[in-house]
Amino acid sequence: MSINAPLPDADVIIVGCGPAGMAAAVTLAEAGRSVIVLDMQPAPGGQIFRSLEANLCDTSPAGQSLLAALGPAYRAGADLIRRFRAFSGACPGIDYRPQTTVWEVRPDGTVGWLQGMNAGYVRGRQVLLAHGAMERPVPFPGWTLPGVMTAGAVQTLLKAGHLKPSGRIVLAGTGPLLLLLANQLHQLGVKPALVGRTDRLSDSVRAARHLRPGGLVPLVKGLGWLGRLKLAGVKSVTGLENLAAHGTQNVESVSFTVGGKRQTLPCDLLIVHDGIVPAIDIPNAAGLRLQWDGPNASWRPATTPDGLGASTLPPEMSAGPCVLRVTGDARRIGGADAAMAHGRVAAQAILAALDHGAGPSADALRAVGKALSVRPFLDAAFPPGLAQALPDDDTIVCRCEELTAGELREKIRSGFRNMDALRGETRCGMGPCQGRSCMVTAARLLQNETRAAGCPPTFRGRPPIRPIPLGAVATLSGLDPRATIRLTLEDKPENASEDTVDAPAE
Amino acid sequence: MPRQNETALIIGAGLQGCSIALFLARAGWRVTLLDKNVAGRHASSVNAGGLRTLMRDWREYPLSELAMEHWRHLDRLVGAGAAESCEVRLGVGQIAVALDEAEMSWTLGRVQEMERRGLGAEELLSATEVRKMLPGLTDQALGGLVSRGDGHANPAASTRAFRQAAMAAGAKIVENCRVLGLERLPGGGWSVAAASGQYEAGVLVNCAGAWGAQVAAMAGQTLPLKVVAPSMMVTARTQPFLEPVVIGIDRPLSFKQSAVGSLVIGGGILGKPYADHDTSFTVMDRMPEGAAATLEAFPALAHVPVLRTWTGLEGATPDGIPVIGPGEGTPDLWHVFGFCGHGFQLSPAVGDVVGRSLVSGTVDPLLAPFSGRRFDAGDAA
Repeated sequence: MSINAPLPDADVIIVGCGPAGMAAAVTLAEAGRSVIVLDMQPAPGGQIFRSLEANLCDTSPAGQSLLAALGPAYRAGADLIRRFRAFSGACPGIDYRPQTTVWEVRPDGTVGWLQGMNAGYVRGRQVLLAHGAMERPVPFPGWTLPGVMTAGAVQTLLKAGHLKPSGRIVLAGTGPLLLLLANQLHQLGVKPALVGRTDRLSDSVRAARHLRPGGLVPLVKGLGWLGRLKLAGVKSVTGLENLAAHGTQNVESVSFTVGGKRQTLPCDLLIVHDGIVPAIDIPNAAGLRLQWDGPNASWRPATTPDGLGASTLPPEMSAGPCVLRVTGDARRIGGADAAMAHGRVAAQAILAALDHGAGPSADALRAVGKALSVRPFLDAAFPPGLAQALPDDDTIVCRCEELTAGELREKIRSGFRNMDALRGETRCGMGPCQGRSCMVTAARLLQNETRAAGCPPTFRGRPPIRPIPLGAVATLSGLDPRATIRLTLEDKPENASEDTVDAPAE
Repeated sequence: MPRQNETALIIGAGLQGCSIALFLARAGWRVTLLDKNVAGRHASSVNAGGLRTLMRDWREYPLSELAMEHWRHLDRLVGAGAAESCEVRLGVGQIAVALDEAEMSWTLGRVQEMERRGLGAEELLSATEVRKMLPGLTDQALGGLVSRGDGHANPAASTRAFRQAAMAAGAKIVENCRVLGLERLPGGGWSVAAASGQYEAGVLVNCAGAWGAQVAAMAGQTLPLKVVAPSMMVTARTQPFLEPVVIGIDRPLSFKQSAVGSLVIGGGILGKPYADHDTSFTVMDRMPEGAAATLEAFPALAHVPVLRTWTGLEGATPDGIPVIGPGEGTPDLWHVFGFCGHGFQLSPAVGDVVGRSLVSGTVDPLLAPFSGRRFDAGDAA
């Protein structure tokens, strides 16, 4: 008797409900396809439009001033969220599942999910990964002290918690988000003590040759932020190096070098940001091929222009063709507009794969190109700064297991010369974050010590890539009957008294 | 020097291969280990590290007791510093819990059998006793068996310690060297064609683990072996509450709390093996059974998060105990593989007894149950 593969639960499963995921979901639902959208957040919007629905409804003066500070780029998500909501619950339409964590994705379209104490698998004929970006991990001396936060975390607290920072605030790092946040804080009446940028004027000059007409709007926006900060009298430096946070229980001061001179500032909150990079934990664990983006010092999934990933597994190990596509910032950092544009392209490609339509339209592809045209300029103007140099021996790399760069270097030199051997020996990447934060640094240390070139190696990702309560594992639903045939080592000894075995003596 | 004399080639530099190499090298033999990856890459380093005689198959019991003696005095084998690094914890005990009548009656039978054989290592526990030893154990538990001398060790560190001890004793290890073919030399002894060259020795020992049957086939010998991928789950750290290792009887239950507080849950749930690709995959679809068995025994653990899973490649024979002994008609070719997920504890005794047998030229009686002949056609009774 042969057991069949489980039936798909939907035409398409989308992981992530930010601009790319929503745009794709709406496009697919408009074409009459059934879509399941899995998202960690309680409401649609992703990181950029986080809590937008709730904040738009907040008519209090504080709510209005928050909306004003977050600006038009934040409110721009309202229309897409409205269209997404219109299809939610319709049939066929979008089966939207908020507060749902994805802990495994397989190339055949199987997706493991967790919601509270329930977990299981759902299957899509096609799967779209729109899980977004993460801030570049920045290990520097003192980065694990309470009072050191990333710009993204501060924005989350603003948008979802309506919490404003206070005290002596230092922002350090690079990238548009750092300047945007400094402006937002200023508008909310919080004046940073210092905005210390790792980028330099020479970066901007070099970047200018990458300027395209499409890049003028962001450029003007950025110059506006800088101008307003200057008008407000916010102290600003460029070319910041060797950042360190100091304190015993929490951050008390920061030090850094500018123009060859070491400076120290008292500080209650250090906000760092070194640009954003594609989140690769899901693609890596799914066995998708990754490539190294040199200028951005980050991995990204290797995909076709419409987002189709390539499985690294040999054919005999994978059940059928790879049906995983990657879109938005998870594929390539481009911001909300590029994410929405690519979400539509990916959706059109998926429709074609489902025998519907002719694939991405020229218009849709052009929109992606236009939205991405500013990236070469931004990449050149804001090169990785805080994470550019490898950390000193005393700096913690893996915060879950409290491992320093020196400990990792020593193990690499003593012969643990591949990522999995290094992980097994040191436990680097074995903690709750499963390497999301430390993997890139460990890989760069390994490459540096072994003088290897090319795409840095990753840890082998095994499910679950996010924690699942044991009780949820015990009741996993949607199991593949082909996989669940009882397979255990049946080695309970017999109590029978026959213990002699006819073995001829040699 | 005659090549026949006191020279051995060992295929597979895992724990068993390194242990045999250690004992042979100490006896003055010239030993070379060939490994297709790096020493201890597979089951040796990634098993759960259980040191247990509890619920051992009777056929393995004497070997297991001898092994325990070696683990107790590991410093004599690998040196004090290396022994320390192995984190041997004996005396924390291993406990088999009986959660239903059938398991309880098996437990009673086991204890009677122990007595009949004059062995005293496993004690019957009442429901009250077992619950006292295992805080958080379900009220349904009817009793159990404890082997108080049992415990665990760090498998990766132990594999490293045996490897280094073998090298210190003079054994040579050639890594990244896949064996391509075997040829018996006319006057006895073996020639091995490998990726990095040709090797010859008087005795060949096949310690190729999950690939043991493949290596045997190169010598024209057929031994039954299934490649399996036992898998495990590891949880976040929790408050220390459990010292002994807990195992199930008919349930896929096996877990311990590590020194840092995380629970390491095994139980023989199998992942997907790909021996030809040197890799294996955990299959979450199969984990519910192990998780449910754990929660049936310890209901309060439902909210403890599982952080990761792992698996490794292992060989399993049809009757659950390894093949240890010379091949049919080849006293100079030994097979030592198929440990079915419980070879870690046995390894020092395997090295001792196999080494002793090779040096003396007679198969030690302790190895009688492990002869590969038990699988010969027509000998199935």
